[in-house]
Amino acid sequence: MGMGSNRGGGRVTMSEINVTPMVDVMLVLLIIFMVTAPLIQQGVKVNLPEAKAAPVEAAEKKLVLSIDAQRRVYIGEAEVALEELETKLAANAKAQADKELYLHADRDVPYGVVVDVMAAAQRAGVTNVGMITDPSAGGRASNKGKKEAKR
Amino acid sequence: MNVKALLLSLLLPLAALAQAPVIQISGANFRPLPLAVSAPLVQGDEAKAPAGKLDETLMYDLRASGLFQMLDRASFLADAKEGVTAGSIKFARWADVGAEALVKYTVAQENGELRVEARVFNVGSGREEFKTTHGAPVAVPHKLAHQVADAIYRHFTREPSPFLSRITYVRKSGTNRDVWVADWDGRNAKQVTKGGINLLPALGPDGQVAYTSYRQGQPDLFLQQEEGETVRLKTAEGQMATGVAFSPDGKRVAYSLADGESAQVWVADTNGGNRKRLTDTRYGINSSPSWSPDGKRIAFVSNRGGSPQVYVMNTDGSGVKRLTFQGNYNQTPDWSPRGDLIAFTARDERNAFDLFAVNVETGKITRLTQDQGNNEEPAFSPNGRLILFTSTRNGTPQLFVMTAEGNNQMPLPGQEKGAYLTPDWGR
Repeated sequence: MGMGSNRGGGRVTMSEINVTPMVDVMLVLLIIFMVTAPLIQQGVKVNLPEAKAAPVEAAEKKLVLSIDAQRRVYIGEAEVALEELETKLAANAKAQADKELYLHADRDVPYGVVVDVMAAAQRAGVTNVGMITDPSAGGRASNKGKKEAKR
Repeated sequence: MNVKALLLSLLLPLAALAQAPVIQISGANFRPLPLAVSAPLVQGDEAKAPAGKLDETLMYDLRASGLFQMLDRASFLADAKEGVTAGSIKFARWADVGAEALVKYTVAQENGELRVEARVFNVGSGREEFKTTHGAPVAVPHKLAHQVADAIYRHFTREPSPFLSRITYVRKSGTNRDVWVADWDGRNAKQVTKGGINLLPALGPDGQVAYTSYRQGQPDLFLQQEEGETVRLKTAEGQMATGVAFSPDGKRVAYSLADGESAQVWVADTNGGNRKRLTDTRYGINSSPSWSPDGKRIAFVSNRGGSPQVYVMNTDGSGVKRLTFQGNYNQTPDWSPRGDLIAFTARDERNAFDLFAVNVETGKITRLTQDQGNNEEPAFSPNGRLILFTSTRNGTPQLFVMTAEGNNQMPLPGQEKGAYLTPDWGR
């Protein structure tokens, strides 16, 4: 639009920033953070990865996506085919209201599968993804600190 | 205080609590309740087709009520064969789609009758809150759906729903304008008049239809009993009568009677007796009467102040009070059955017709529609929670419904070609 108005004036400098590429980049970005596991009581059994990064304490329960070691995908406790995941999430009132969900994936799930699931969530309008990690085995710094303080 | 009285005083608040509505409809704290309605469990192949129609009507009723955030079935995570009792339902799966309440129902067909058993569950507590069973002939699944929707509405609000009421309207077809009567959602429509020009129908409390017709050359009032013949209301000798409205008890009608110079509001018994003129302006128009729910006052339009404005008066013509002071073209008032509001059509500063409501006591005006074609002819539901109106947002005028606050505007389903005009909602 900005360019059309400068017909004939070859030397006129474009003073506006073209925001289109920037918007594209923003749309691809997901906000990702770590969440501790104890809050999330899930029916689906997975071996969570251990992480030493300081996790976020989840204040309220968000929708949980699980991927087990056999690469089966679950919304909550209900198994969902990967092809259906985007539709299910796009129609899900909870996911659409929160724009956030927690990913509860087994540590042995290939990175590619995790990305597929996250991409489906992102296409369905989810902008924030919390990665659930295991605080008990991993070095949960804040917890250790508390224990020491008690002594 | 003896023990009995003490016990009673302890029990009373509990009883009141049990009767408290789940959804407080009015007030600043209103929030639509996220409701999941599971697809019906149909017993037997023959019940599948009527169950589909029933489901469609039930879903429309619940959605149009404005009380619920109807959750998309595409998101549901429960097993399609999940049972309908609390013990067999995995409530976590319903909580995961955002549901706070869940409706499950079964449809069965026996001896030409369709039977529905519906249950309402609280998703958070995992408890069954309410169960209702209904039956109707297979030929009228819509009727059954309205009954089920009514029971669910009553459970959540402790007040009657609008779903069992009837509406009337004019449909244009070719050069004809005919009066129709239909279920509240426009389904099950029956043609009342056969050709000619018929206008401004009204529904009485016992199903009577009154309307203005040009069948005898000049506009005149006609009254049709629900299952009976049509009689001409003997109210209009030699003059033009239009715009009839039934009193809340159905015994009186108000209408407008025009001669060469002016139009005045009259009231009469439904058989034409006890005629009385209520307005008396030398020139100008007084028309479009609408009764207050207590039957003691009438809202009407008058241009005595220079432009058409909404006025109210007592039913003996005394105590005339102007209600609208904004805008220069306010018409077609409809008095809410709750008594507090009068909805009307106004032409705004951009020459678009839109709906507004005025508070009868305070005169405060609220806008109900905006920026979507011309919106006209409001008619309140019998419980005062919904408003039926016409809108040109999709081209020709069609019937729409919204909440009394102007939210959740939806077209009535299944409307055919040709304009739909001047709806009235039976009280």
